[in-house]
Order: sequence, then structure tokens, then C-alpha cells
Amino acid sequence: MAGLFGTLSIAISGLAVSQQQMETSSNNVANANTKGYSREVVETEAGAPIVISGLTVGTGVVLDKIESLRDPILEIQLNQATQQQSSLNAQLAQLQTLQTHFAGSTSGIGADISNFFNSLEQLSPDPSSVELRQSVLTAATNLATDFRSTASSLTTQEGNLNLIVQQSVDEVNSLTAEIASVGQQIAQLQNAHQDASTLIDQQTNLIRQLSGFVDVQVIQTGNGGINLATANGTALVTGTQSFALTTKTGSDGNSHIFAGNQDITSSLTGGSLAGTVQVRDQEIPGILNQLDQLATGFANAVNAANAQGFDLNGHAGGNIFTPPPAGGTGAAATLQVGITDPSLIAASSDGTAGSNGNLTNLLAVATQPVAGGQTPINAYSNLVFQVGNTTSDTSADADAAGEILQQLQNQRGSISGVSLDEEAASIVQFQTAYQASARVITTINGLLADAVNLGIESAMQ
Amino acid sequence: MRVNPYPMPELLAALNQTELKAQQAALEISTGKSVNVPSDDPSAAALLVDNNDQATFNAGFLHDLSAINGQLSAADSTLSSVQTALRQALSLGVEGGNGTLSDADRAAIVAQLQGIQSQVLALANSSYQGNYLFSGTIIGTAPYAVSGTDPSGVTYNGNDGVNQVAVGNGYQLAINQPGSQLFSAQGNSVFQALNDLIVAVGSNTGVDTAVNEVDSAANYLSVQGVFYGNALAQVQSQTTYLNSAKLQISEQQNSLGAADLSVAATDLSSAQTDTQAALAAISKFAGNTLFDYLR
Repeated sequence: MAGLFGTLSIAISGLAVSQQQMETSSNNVANANTKGYSREVVETEAGAPIVISGLTVGTGVVLDKIESLRDPILEIQLNQATQQQSSLNAQLAQLQTLQTHFAGSTSGIGADISNFFNSLEQLSPDPSSVELRQSVLTAATNLATDFRSTASSLTTQEGNLNLIVQQSVDEVNSLTAEIASVGQQIAQLQNAHQDASTLIDQQTNLIRQLSGFVDVQVIQTGNGGINLATANGTALVTGTQSFALTTKTGSDGNSHIFAGNQDITSSLTGGSLAGTVQVRDQEIPGILNQLDQLATGFANAVNAANAQGFDLNGHAGGNIFTPPPAGGTGAAATLQVGITDPSLIAASSDGTAGSNGNLTNLLAVATQPVAGGQTPINAYSNLVFQVGNTTSDTSADADAAGEILQQLQNQRGSISGVSLDEEAASIVQFQTAYQASARVITTINGLLADAVNLGIESAMQ
Repeated sequence: MRVNPYPMPELLAALNQTELKAQQAALEISTGKSVNVPSDDPSAAALLVDNNDQATFNAGFLHDLSAINGQLSAADSTLSSVQTALRQALSLGVEGGNGTLSDADRAAIVAQLQGIQSQVLALANSSYQGNYLFSGTIIGTAPYAVSGTDPSGVTYNGNDGVNQVAVGNGYQLAINQPGSQLFSAQGNSVFQALNDLIVAVGSNTGVDTAVNEVDSAANYLSVQGVFYGNALAQVQSQTTYLNSAKLQISEQQNSLGAADLSVAATDLSSAQTDTQAALAAISKFAGNTLFDYLR
């Protein structure tokens, strides 16, 4: 009799386990599109055998565990790849906007420089012509205007990036707070020896989102707890406690990122914040500096050449451009033509109205080194090359980073992704097993009735 | 090996790439340029700036050559007129040296010679587009004024200034000769010679010497005036050279930055085909799983 009840309990264990397996498969199917979800598999093992009359018999099936399939190394790699790609994409977006100011060779600062010298060239055969002199002033004014507007656009873009930095820091803070709170829930479940898989998936997903903003590293502490820190050691989350970052305006007028009292702005190495800061603090100021140098060198050289000659009234030449600030900073943003009277252009080399001798000196500025050892037009074309090259390189790097990220996501998918085909096959399998166990129970039931009614006709059927 | 059961992101990324290629090709076709932003081809973008600079300078030189041409031609033809007048003066001088002339006849010749003297003065004071041609760089002042005290009958109020104009890279062309080198050079002055001839014929003494003086001054003027012919020839040849340079610069601009429309059109077409193929492939992924078959 014990044998029959034993068989019954074995069949019931089979039923329960099949049911759990189907439930797990069903959960996988329901979460097939949940971001960051890791598919679960049921691990079963045979029940501990018992010995009856020298025979070892099995005791059915036992649920070992329900395991979430995920690869922690892969998660780390995915975080790193996300940080890399986010940083590059942030840089690329800004660089693509920036380079539009240097597009087109027939307009812009380069063409203006060429036109300015052209206007001097055309003045040369008839140096006393007021009309031709006015053309020189117009060309100079166009050039100054383009310098100012380019510098202004770049400065505006730099300012806009401050807004992006502030918004990103807000996002980071909101994510770290959420990660800490989920961490707390995970700790509670694990202390109660319960499965925290779903929450761990959630936390992993949040960390991935955080990687989009900063270079976060995950350090596992005991009991499934984690610490998050940036690459240079700034703590973001410690166990169940999160630390918010703050922004303060620095002496350069830009938003600096602070962790407590420490300025970590330049120590970020990944994520969109690092990319944005890179463009705001390195690329744009670098370009502005080159424009300033060009504006300063050019204006000073033209003014010096003008001073070597005589204007239409026979007086020694003065400044054509307002002298740029000493040290050069802000020269491009403030470049102005300082004269409106065309007779003040010092074309003459001997004080007579018809002499064009000093135009040679003015035209010579086109072939003199004025900025970084380069002629005005070469200094500008070099700048165009640099901007284009940086943008093009960043674009290629961003594509490559995207490829790497895609590959890693493929790998993650192959490990943790839910395959509907697989789950369908599993459900069929578990369904069959359930049906078989149920059939066994029905059979045992019949046998029990037979056993109870042994040799006696009775009501039990 | 288990494959990633969710290939959609990768497929969508590939679709994005083909669409990006199509957009790039379409932009090239619509702008006609292969370099629309510096990152399209950084070296070409930089070279295009230089190319535009060369084209602008080239255009400037050509413009100047055209302006100079007018000025030089005006001066050159003025000198021809002066030579004509001087030849007339010479024949009048020879006639006036004939011993058989009456006083009245000589007086008539003197009057004609004075007429020529006025004519030459007016010619020397010619201007072009409001500027005097022969006063050096004092272009607002007439080079010669009648003088009662100067033995040549005129004073020179210009200077020795010569203007140079750049007509090519490192190529400067002088564009004027001052009157002091043409008409009133020391020892070879046309004005002095004419004045002396008038005096000689009037007093009927030393006419031969005076005629020779005029002849000599005319020759000197002719030699000095070759400057204008030379300059005009240089203007011609430099204009031709710059016009062909202009073509080369323009060709270089095309090779650097112009879109190859046939290539761009092919790129667009193949990108569009790729897009359609990707879309068709993606649509096949929608929906069929084992669940559909387990009814």
C-alpha cells in the first residue's frame, strides 16, 4: 500500500513541477519584450532516493531552482561599450553642428579674406578712386562681420551645452536614486532568501541607462549588493545609498560638475556627459582660440601695413581695424572696421594722391605669416581641415563603437533573450509531461480502488 | 550555439545605414557638390578654400589688366599724336629755314609752330578717367603749365612717381611714365626744342640746329614711349595666360568638390534597392513563431 501512495506522491510531484515549468515558460513569453529581462529556466533534479528492502527507489522530481540566465561579464562589457558609444555620439552631434560654420569655400571667413585682398588689388590701378576705396571698406566690414558671427555662434553653442550638462546631471541623479532604492528592495528579498531576479534585471537596466550618461563601474559587494563609482573613483551609489552630483558655474562661465566639493568635470571618461564636456571645454574653445589668433594677427598686420603709407589727404596711415585686445582672447568676437572714411586707406607711399606704392605692403599681408606661422588663408584652410577631420574621425569611431555595442547585445540576446519558438516547444514538452503525470494519477486511483475493494464487491469503483 | 532571438535592433540599424547612404547621395545630386561639409572630405575642403583664393586673385589680376589696358592705350595713342605734331613741326622748321622766305611768310610759320606748341601742351596734359596721365603720381594736377620765365616755356608740376600694379603672383607691371621722363627730360625736352625752333625761325638764325634739336627730342620721346607698347604687349600675354590659368583653377575646383552625378545617381539607386531589400527582410521576421503552428 505504501507503494501505491508512494507512486501517487511521485506522480503529484511530477504534476507540480510541470505546472511550475509551464508557469516559468509563460512568464518568459509574457516578458519577451521587456527591456533587460533575462529568461528564466527551471532546474529540476530527481528526488533523493530511498532504500526499500535493499532496493534504491526514486522519489520523484524536485524543483531545484528557477534560474535567470545572464552573464555578468557581458553586462560589464555592455556598460563599457554603452559609455563609449554615448560619449562619441554626443561629441558627433555637436561637431556636426559646429562644422556647418566652416562649410562652403565660396562664402565664409576664407572667401571674405580672399575678397578683402581682391578689393585692394582692384584699387591698385586707380588708387585715388573713392568708389574703389569704399569697396575695400565694404570687404573689410564683411570679413569682420563674419568673424564676429562665427565666434558668436560658437559661444552660443558652448552655452547651450551647459544646459545639456545640467539636464544630464539631473538624469544621473534620478537614476542613481532609483538604483539605490531597487538595491534596497533586492537586499530585503535576499535577506528573506527569496529570488530577486526581476529586480536585478531592473537594476541592471538602470545601470545601463546610467552608462549612457557617465562612465560608471560596478563593484559587487557581498550579498548581491553593489557600489557604483565613476572611473576616477567618485562614488555614485554605495549599497543602498545614492550620492547626487551638483552643478556650479565655474570661473569660465560654464557649468562644472561637482561630487560634494570636488570638481569632477574634466575627469569623466565615458558617457554623454564626458562627450558633451569634451566639446564644450576642448573643441569649441580650441577653435575659438584659433579664430582669435587669426583675427588678431590679420588685423595687426593690416593696421601695421596701413601705417607705413599715406592716406588720400597726405596724412600718415592709421588703423583700419580697431586694434584687437592684447593677448588675443575675444578678438574674433569683437573684430571691427574702425574707419568709415574711404580716404583713410593709406594707399600712397609718398603722400601724393595718385601713388599706389603702399598697396604693395597691404597686399603683402596675404602672403605673410600672421597666425601660427601661416598666411591668413592657410591658417583658415587649416582650421577647416581640422574641424572636418575631427568630425570625420569621430563619426567613424562612433560607427565602430555602435558595431561593438551591437555585437555585445547580440551575445546578450543569445544568452538571455527569450525565444518564442523555444518557449513554445518547452510548453508542449511540459504539457505532455503534465498529461502523463495526470494519467499516472488516474491509473493509481483505479488501482487504489481495486486494492481497497480486494475480493469484495462494493460501492467503490 | 544559440542565436540571438531578437535580431530586430540589428536589422533596423542596417536599414538606417542604407537610408543614410540614400540621403547622402540625394544631397550630392541636389547641391552638385561632393563636399557639402568639411567632414565629407577634410583635405578637399581645405584645398577648396585655397582654390577659391587662387580664383579670386586670378579674377582680380584680370580685372586690373583690363583697367590698365585702357590707361596704357590712352597714353600710347596720345604719344602717337604728339609724334605726328612733332613731325609737322619738323617740316615747318625745314620750310622756315629757307632763306628766300619773306618776313610775313616766316611769321606765318612761327604762328603755325606756336599752334603746334599749344597742341603738344594740351596732349601732354591729357587725362584718362579723371586722372592726368603724365604727371607721375600727382594725378590731380596738370603736369605742364605755361611759364613766362622758364626757357622751355612750361613748368612741370608733376613728380617722378611710377605706379606698379601686381598682375600675377610676384609679377609687377609699371603702368605710367612721368612727363619729366617723356616730354621735359634734361637735354631732350620736346618743349624746349619747340620753343627754340620758334625763336630760331622768328629770328631766322640757327634754324638747322633747332630743327635737329626737335628731331632729337622726338627720337628720345619715341624711345621712351616704347615703354607703353611693351607694357601693352605684356598686358596682352598675361591676360591670355591668366585666362587659361582660370580654366585650370576651375577644373581643379570641380575635381575637388563637384559631385560626380553619374556616380551619385548610381549610389542613390543602389541605396534605395538596399533599403527595399532590408525592409522586405525585416517584414519576414514579423510574426512567425512555433506558436502559430501549435494550434
